[in-house]
Amino acid sequence: MNKVVVANLNGNAYQLEEAGYHALRAYLDRAETQLRENPDRVEILGDLEQAIGEKCDQFLGAHKNVVTSAEVERILAEMGPVHDASSSGAAPEAAPGAESKDSAPEPETAPKRLYQIREGAMMSGVCNGFAAYFGIDVTLVRVIFVVLAFLTYGLWALAYLVMMIVIPHANTTEERAAARGLPFNAQELIDQVKKKYADFSDNREARKHSRQVHKHRQERRRHTHAASEQAIAVPGYTAHVVTGLLSPIFGLVSAALFVVFIFAFISMASTGAVLGWSLPTGIPLWAGLLILIAIYAMTTGPIKAARRATYAYGARPHAWLAALDGLFWLAFTMLFVWLAYLYVPVVHELIEKFGSMWSNGSMWNKVWFGILV
Amino acid sequence: MSLHEKFSSIRKGLLEFLVLKIIAADKVYVAEMLGRLANTEFATQEGTLYPLLSKLRREGLLDYDWQESDAGPPRKYYKLTAHGKEQLEELNGYWKEINRTIGQLGKQP
Repeated sequence: MNKVVVANLNGNAYQLEEAGYHALRAYLDRAETQLRENPDRVEILGDLEQAIGEKCDQFLGAHKNVVTSAEVERILAEMGPVHDASSSGAAPEAAPGAESKDSAPEPETAPKRLYQIREGAMMSGVCNGFAAYFGIDVTLVRVIFVVLAFLTYGLWALAYLVMMIVIPHANTTEERAAARGLPFNAQELIDQVKKKYADFSDNREARKHSRQVHKHRQERRRHTHAASEQAIAVPGYTAHVVTGLLSPIFGLVSAALFVVFIFAFISMASTGAVLGWSLPTGIPLWAGLLILIAIYAMTTGPIKAARRATYAYGARPHAWLAALDGLFWLAFTMLFVWLAYLYVPVVHELIEKFGSMWSNGSMWNKVWFGILV
Repeated sequence: MSLHEKFSSIRKGLLEFLVLKIIAADKVYVAEMLGRLANTEFATQEGTLYPLLSKLRREGLLDYDWQESDAGPPRKYYKLTAHGKEQLEELNGYWKEINRTIGQLGKQP
């Protein structure tokens, strides 16, 4: 069972399976890019949509009202890549079938970008993306990553986490082609469909099943965000990267604020003053503490909203992303505490005081050096 | 390199000429044009043909009428303009020249 998307093709509604819809979307986006200099762009795109719609009609009948993904791919292969006839050099392409495969134009300059590829990923698809980008085996990439993690005393694991957040996922066929640096065209689509069929006829039931479950989950996830995605248009590569970058930055800022707040709070509670600034006489201690909490809430409010926005913004709406964000927050908090302990005398004293209540004061040192070395 | 590849740029260049020829013979819509070309060396696809037709129309060589069809929405039927007919005449003449040249070359002088 597949989700169906209704597409408007030059004024008529067609129901397409979701993967087919994405392929069609990519085809038309590409056509639009090809024709961007053409004064008749709108008309040609309308004609193309019309032609696609008429081809869809051939696959529809009284008892079949959805065009399957495979049918969409076949239609797009029939349509052929769009060339702008008026731009010099871009001459029309000829002959399906008669053309031998190696004669297909293979532009060396096909865009190549680093993406995360979920298909066949062990975790998030970072290694998979690297493997596709450099054209090497994914297992080799994984081994290199693990070795690097050991060599850098775990720093590489942190780098991996950052990459998980920053590198966008390849969701559409075009993005998957770009991840491998392959030219994206109708031929590409056909090859992929063929490959998919080959995979399905594979009788490794377990693998197939798990893949379907995964795909379903992905589809459902995408579905819940379909509305917002359509409203704001699919964010581009840059937007993906920016939101990916912002998320840990917001994590960092809010962690710093949290640490400052905790120390201010402890300092206020134990000495009645924060960094030399003491409460004016007449204001009780509890009121001072309340004021601190209020200030903290006010400063963190906008940041929390912004953090939520970075992962609500269509980028990668994963539950684990929120969890990872929390992990970042925790890591930064610990880092700040440690730095403050080392370099800020007031904080140092406070922790020492705290530590001696708990156990020996030098324990903090042991714990931190145990973790880091 | 197959023969098909060797002549690929020639086929591309001739497509415009052939489209004018097809339209001159009869009022046609795109699917018909594709059908005429389908089983020839010049088989092509919508992705190529629509932009080409739009270019030819911009150059004033052809135009279209909307016509109702029995099945589905109205279609664009293309026809040559006067300028298009002149152009086709010239192209025809030039093509005959080329053929004669090809025929003569390689013969003993």
